Amino acid sequence: MTPLQHYLILATVLFFIGGWGVLARRNIILIIMCIELMLNAINIALVAFSNYSPHGAGLGEVFVFFVFALAAAEVAIGLAVAIAQYRLREKLGVDELHDMRG
Amino acid sequence: MKAAVVLIPVLPLVSFMVTLLLGKRYFGEKSHYLPVASVAVSWLLCMFLLVQVERGQTLDWNAYSWIAVGGFQVDIGFLVDELAAVMLLVVSTVGLMVHVYSIGYMHGDQGYYRFFAYLNLFMFSMFMLVLANNYLLLYVFWEAVGLCSFLLISFWFPKLSASAAGTKAFLVNRVGDFGFSLGVMLIFITFGTLSYAGVFDSETAVGGGMMTAICLLLFTGAVGKSAQFPLHVWLPDAMEGPTPVSSLIHAATMVNAGVYMVARSSPLFAESETAMLVVAITGGFTAIFAASIGLVQNDIKKVLAYSTVSQLGYMFLALGVGAWAAGMFHLVSHGFFKGLLFLCSGSVIHALSGEQDMRRMGGLKSKTKITYWTFIIGALAISGAPGFAGFFSKDSILAGVFHEGYYLLWAVGIVTAFLTAFYMFRLIFMTFHGEPRTDPEVFAHAHESPPSMTAPLIILAVPSALIGLILGLPPEDGHIDNLLHHVFAGVLPAEGGHGFGAVSALLMALSATIGLGGIFAAWQFYIKRPQLPEMVKARTGAMYYILYNKYWVDEIYAAVIVNPVKWFSGVLWRFVDDAGIDGFVNGAARFFRGVGKALRPTQSGRLQAYLFTMFIGALALLAAWVLLQTGQG
Amino acid sequence: MTEFSPTAFYILAFMVVVFAIGVVSFKNLIHSALSMVLCFIAVAGIYILLHAELIAAAQVLIYVGAISILIIFAIMLTRHRTGDLKLFFSRQSWLALVFVAVATIVFTAVLGSANYRSESLAQNPEDEKIAELVFNSYAFPFEVVSLVLLVAIVGAVLLAKREKQ
Repeated sequence: MTPLQHYLILATVLFFIGGWGVLARRNIILIIMCIELMLNAINIALVAFSNYSPHGAGLGEVFVFFVFALAAAEVAIGLAVAIAQYRLREKLGVDELHDMRG
Repeated sequence: MKAAVVLIPVLPLVSFMVTLLLGKRYFGEKSHYLPVASVAVSWLLCMFLLVQVERGQTLDWNAYSWIAVGGFQVDIGFLVDELAAVMLLVVSTVGLMVHVYSIGYMHGDQGYYRFFAYLNLFMFSMFMLVLANNYLLLYVFWEAVGLCSFLLISFWFPKLSASAAGTKAFLVNRVGDFGFSLGVMLIFITFGTLSYAGVFDSETAVGGGMMTAICLLLFTGAVGKSAQFPLHVWLPDAMEGPTPVSSLIHAATMVNAGVYMVARSSPLFAESETAMLVVAITGGFTAIFAASIGLVQNDIKKVLAYSTVSQLGYMFLALGVGAWAAGMFHLVSHGFFKGLLFLCSGSVIHALSGEQDMRRMGGLKSKTKITYWTFIIGALAISGAPGFAGFFSKDSILAGVFHEGYYLLWAVGIVTAFLTAFYMFRLIFMTFHGEPRTDPEVFAHAHESPPSMTAPLIILAVPSALIGLILGLPPEDGHIDNLLHHVFAGVLPAEGGHGFGAVSALLMALSATIGLGGIFAAWQFYIKRPQLPEMVKARTGAMYYILYNKYWVDEIYAAVIVNPVKWFSGVLWRFVDDAGIDGFVNGAARFFRGVGKALRPTQSGRLQAYLFTMFIGALALLAAWVLLQTGQG
Repeated sequence: MTEFSPTAFYILAFMVVVFAIGVVSFKNLIHSALSMVLCFIAVAGIYILLHAELIAAAQVLIYVGAISILIIFAIMLTRHRTGDLKLFFSRQSWLALVFVAVATIVFTAVLGSANYRSESLAQNPEDEKIAELVFNSYAFPFEVVSLVLLVAIVGAVLLAKREKQ
């Protein structure tokens, strides 16, 4: 029986791997993928907590459901924006998409 | 009677507003009808009031409660007593004559309607000033007439010298008005009220010093308004205004406001010997000072201007020695003949198509007969020729001064009388007699003025000649003395009249002789032996130079006051406003712009930089929260 | 309740981490995408270990079945050249690596040293329980989320529409 910490550490590591990808890679679609990784990490943590708490069982899963839905929505929009930008500019490098600056 | 009192100022006020608003578009050349009519009606009402007052009916009426704040109560109130009635006589009569005169004089001027509107505004203000029954109302309309004076002096404002003269008048008056306002404030502090009745009948014991202070401050206002030394400098410059203005405002009415105010405040002044002495000395000095300058001036209006200053000095001299009725008498007669003299000079200027320099006049006698003869009457009046108005009024002043024991001032007065006669007839001879020195073309064109101008001349010549006889006989106990006795009852000198004894007769003979002597001397200088002026000038070169340059009073003021103030303003402008305030405001702007520029690189548009910052921020918050939790727990 | 051996956890955890690193490290986007799919499957396995079968199923359906496909489609649509970008990593990648490493270590330390209330597995939450929660207590968020999805659909369509020539 694995202790709770193991799951949490897993979630942490997964989260920061995704975080590094978000900060370090240039392609915007890849960044979106890494965001999904981070969301997964969160989900793991939530389910783990939900599993290990005597009362409040089931709450974590409910939360995860909502995260699924919102993650899907977010990916859809994000990719739509990325594709629209690509059409405009033929570039997907995040450091080249810096028009909104001042 | 109340209705009359209200209508007298209100009619010109209404006329002013209507003329000003509608005159340009609707009245045009006919703009004079309403103003003249309103002043004519006011004149009738003033005559009515005079009759009522002669019968002994006076009025002190608070018409409208204007300010009632705590202990401070001021009403719009009217006081009609003998003093006011006498002033009204002069103001309304000369005012009406000037209005009629202006029809001809200002004919064709672009601002025709504006001129009459301003004249009416002035009449309103002057009437209210005379009729006011408290010091605050007096002060308000004191300022109002100053405003009208400014508007009318700079009537031809496109001309730079006219605008400058108007500004000068206003500013110099302001100096006097400042003192005046301080005096009014002191009155309130001391007496708790500002109404004449309240102040004069007050039983408050006032220390001598305080009373002197009040009187001197009030007097500074009079010095400014009535152009006494050292605030006389604005009056000669005020000649830039149209001649009717010079006649009305700067000879017959506004400049008399100072005299009127001092006379009105006689109960206060009588309590302070120092103040009375200051008034008398100022008046006497100004009289001879101005007369000496007028001796050598070449502009016809400037001579009359300095003459006005000098005669006002006489009035203050009278008031200062306690000869109140004499001072007022001279005010009345001077108002008539000086008003007349100015209008005559305007007629001369009109005849010579604008020429004002007497060195280019001469020989006008045959061409402008009416002007000539009315001018002569006015000149005789002012010179104190026996029988004319000036003789009686000036003599009663000099007699009063002598009898009070101010022998030095009496001597000053006598010398001034001589100078007055001299410069007046110098003016007459240079203008009307001898060979014409004018440009031949102009001289050929010279003609008598239209009836609208000569009628007022004739009408004003009558009182100039006769008012002395009406008001002044018998001497020192004449009609005017009796009339004003009621007003000045409390302040007449203790001896209560000195009768017409031998001394008085001698004095009268002396002043008559002096006056005629002045005329004779002028005749010698300018008719009989015309080389005399040049000779005297050559002999007394320096003296002539000083007089001609008006003792350089204007220049001294410019150097000592005006230029330092300008310099200081420049300093303030450069250092306080430009560098300081602007620097501060601009500096603030620059500061914020700098901050913005420093912070702008954070808005790089680079997504990952933002994300990084957010990441770090989120983690920092989390860490802080955790630490807080563990800290508490 | 079935117990799973710790070994299963370690294997699955290892797979998750390895494939996650793969996502982040591959230069070829398709390789990253495929690695991501495998990672998701491993995560589903983790859910199974946690007795959350419903979630595991949902994970496979949603993430593997929909999101990953979407991402792959997006990659395909935007591949102009076979090689993507000259520079794969951004300028601050080293800084990010350091930061992330530090953060991981810190978090792990914190989490590892904390006291946990129960060390044992609780009951397996039945599906009915979850359904009851969603449709009773959290019905409102449920409805809102459906609205969000609607908005996302409309928005995505609008954003990605081609400009009419």
